[in-house]
Amino acid sequence: MLLSLAWRNVWRNARRSLITMSALGVGVAGIVSIFSFREVANEAIVSDVTAGLVGHLQVHALGYQEAPSVGLTVQHPLQVEATLERVLPGAKAERRVIGAGLAGAGDRSAPVMVLGLEPGASALYTVKDGAGLGAGKDVLVGKDLATDLGVAVGGELVLVSQAADGSVANDRYTVAGTFESSSAELDGNAIAMSLSEAQSFFALGDGVHQLVVRLPTQREDVQPEAQALRAALDLKTLEAVSWSEMLPQMKASMEQKRKNQGFVDFIIFLIVGLGVFNAMTMAVFERTRELGVLAALGTRPRRILAMVMLEALWQGAMAFVVGVALAAAILYALGTSDLSKMLGGDVMGVRMPTHLELKLLPASLKGAAITAFLTALLGALLPALRAMRLQPVEALRQS
Amino acid sequence: MVLLLSALLAAAPAVSDKPPADLPACPSGSETPDVAALMKRTETVLEGRSMVAVMTMGIKTPSYERSVKMKLWTKGRDFALVKVLEGGPRETGMMTLKREKQLWNYLPQAGRVMKLPSGMMGDSWMGSDFTNDDLVHGSSISNDFTSSVDKTVEHEGRKAWFVTLKPRPEAKTVWGRVEMLLDRQSCIPLEERFYDEDGALARRMAFSDLQKVGWRTFPMKMTVTPAEAGRQTTISYAQLELDGEVPDDTFSLRRLQQGKE
Repeated sequence: MLLSLAWRNVWRNARRSLITMSALGVGVAGIVSIFSFREVANEAIVSDVTAGLVGHLQVHALGYQEAPSVGLTVQHPLQVEATLERVLPGAKAERRVIGAGLAGAGDRSAPVMVLGLEPGASALYTVKDGAGLGAGKDVLVGKDLATDLGVAVGGELVLVSQAADGSVANDRYTVAGTFESSSAELDGNAIAMSLSEAQSFFALGDGVHQLVVRLPTQREDVQPEAQALRAALDLKTLEAVSWSEMLPQMKASMEQKRKNQGFVDFIIFLIVGLGVFNAMTMAVFERTRELGVLAALGTRPRRILAMVMLEALWQGAMAFVVGVALAAAILYALGTSDLSKMLGGDVMGVRMPTHLELKLLPASLKGAAITAFLTALLGALLPALRAMRLQPVEALRQS
Repeated sequence: MVLLLSALLAAAPAVSDKPPADLPACPSGSETPDVAALMKRTETVLEGRSMVAVMTMGIKTPSYERSVKMKLWTKGRDFALVKVLEGGPRETGMMTLKREKQLWNYLPQAGRVMKLPSGMMGDSWMGSDFTNDDLVHGSSISNDFTSSVDKTVEHEGRKAWFVTLKPRPEAKTVWGRVEMLLDRQSCIPLEERFYDEDGALARRMAFSDLQKVGWRTFPMKMTVTPAEAGRQTTISYAQLELDGEVPDDTFSLRRLQQGKE
């Protein structure tokens, strides 16, 4: 009975209710869209990081994360890989050598990052020109680096660096191809060669600098896996580091954006809540006589309170449905969002995704529901309390 | 470092068998010598018109220890060539050519010459505690620093002047201050201490094994100890000829490209 009474009351002043509901609905739509957009972007960043150079986890020689050096290698990488497969079923490990050097071609030279990659570990890049990664003295060059050095497929490249034994590593290579990747750092600085060639160039023996671990999960938090791996490794010589520990600023910026959203939610909440408060105050004021009659007829104050609150809740519910539908429509209409102008370039070596497959995330509904219902309730609380406390005689006297 | 460079990349005019006429005498007896004259003398003694030397560079780090035998030719401050006579398998035959402010490396394994980009001048030269910049700078104490003799001290059994060097405002140096212990008998430095701009000791350089080379007393061994723990680089001369004739084409880039010394 109260519900239908409240429902009828909503439409007593349809225009005002519609305006209130619009404000609520737009607030809900805003919160849902911003949340979904941010989380989709975060997911894309995480999957970019974990599929790319960094991976979910990495195993290094102890101290490498703190101060990488060419001499700090994982000595028996295949043994560590076996441990890894035992502890984290489904995880894939990739051995990698990574060192700094100087590349020269003709009169030009540039500081480079030399990557020694396992054959088939091509998730990092796509070959642009020429062939894929071969063995021996064939190397792939990042596309921008190739431009800087003025080398093309088939060209010659001289590399010089310091080997792990302190000697001057130097050799001549053939450019087998150029590549592009999701990272501007790789495109502009990296030279990829086969793992065994890099090991011999840097005089590493069987050692590698990084064992990059990819987990069969999309989760952002991989601390449990990192813990499990640490428990199985010899931590006197090795370390296991998660992507969020390797890129702490990136993790922090994702967390910061989440916190900022809390603030935005609160502002929306406040504005919409004041709108509801205003509308319900008017509604109660207009109906003072009527409420007086109800009270005079013996309607209990609590029921009057409930009636006013329910009227606001009805509006909240409708606004929620409409708002979510609106957000879904916006996200669907945008479909993919081109961020290349907004987020040009890299953040900490990882190129931000330029295209996002937008979708409405169920997790966003929680915040939206809280906004819709809580604002409606809080906005209506004071007017409802006033309605409850009306003295029948005084209320009836009001014309 | 300044003096090492001066030693490596010699400049001042001199005659091979007797000191130049304008060389001030070493004021061994003075507690407060004329510091400008003293510095000029030190520089002149350590520098030469040219130098041909065979030396061994020993590099010690926490992870490895190795030594490289090299031959060095210099002419004035602007030209120098270093050739690795014995080193790692891929570096024997490596050459570094300095022409004025530029450096080229001949890489024997690659069989190619590579010019060093200016951004890598601060990097270590052959893994030692010398930087590429140390090789090319060819700076001069009297040009870059103002000096003062603060006191006389005893250092490893030798009487020495304690000299403090402060960079001139316009000098291109990374050091905030340099302290030098100068042997009173020979006017040769015994030790130099380099402080960074925050006043922290960044590296020490000790000169030892003073020997007579022609009219000079010359430190045949230099030891550089950086602040970084566990590292040390030593240079000892096995042969040293100063002020001799060095042909100009020793420092020719074309010869370097052909892999010829």
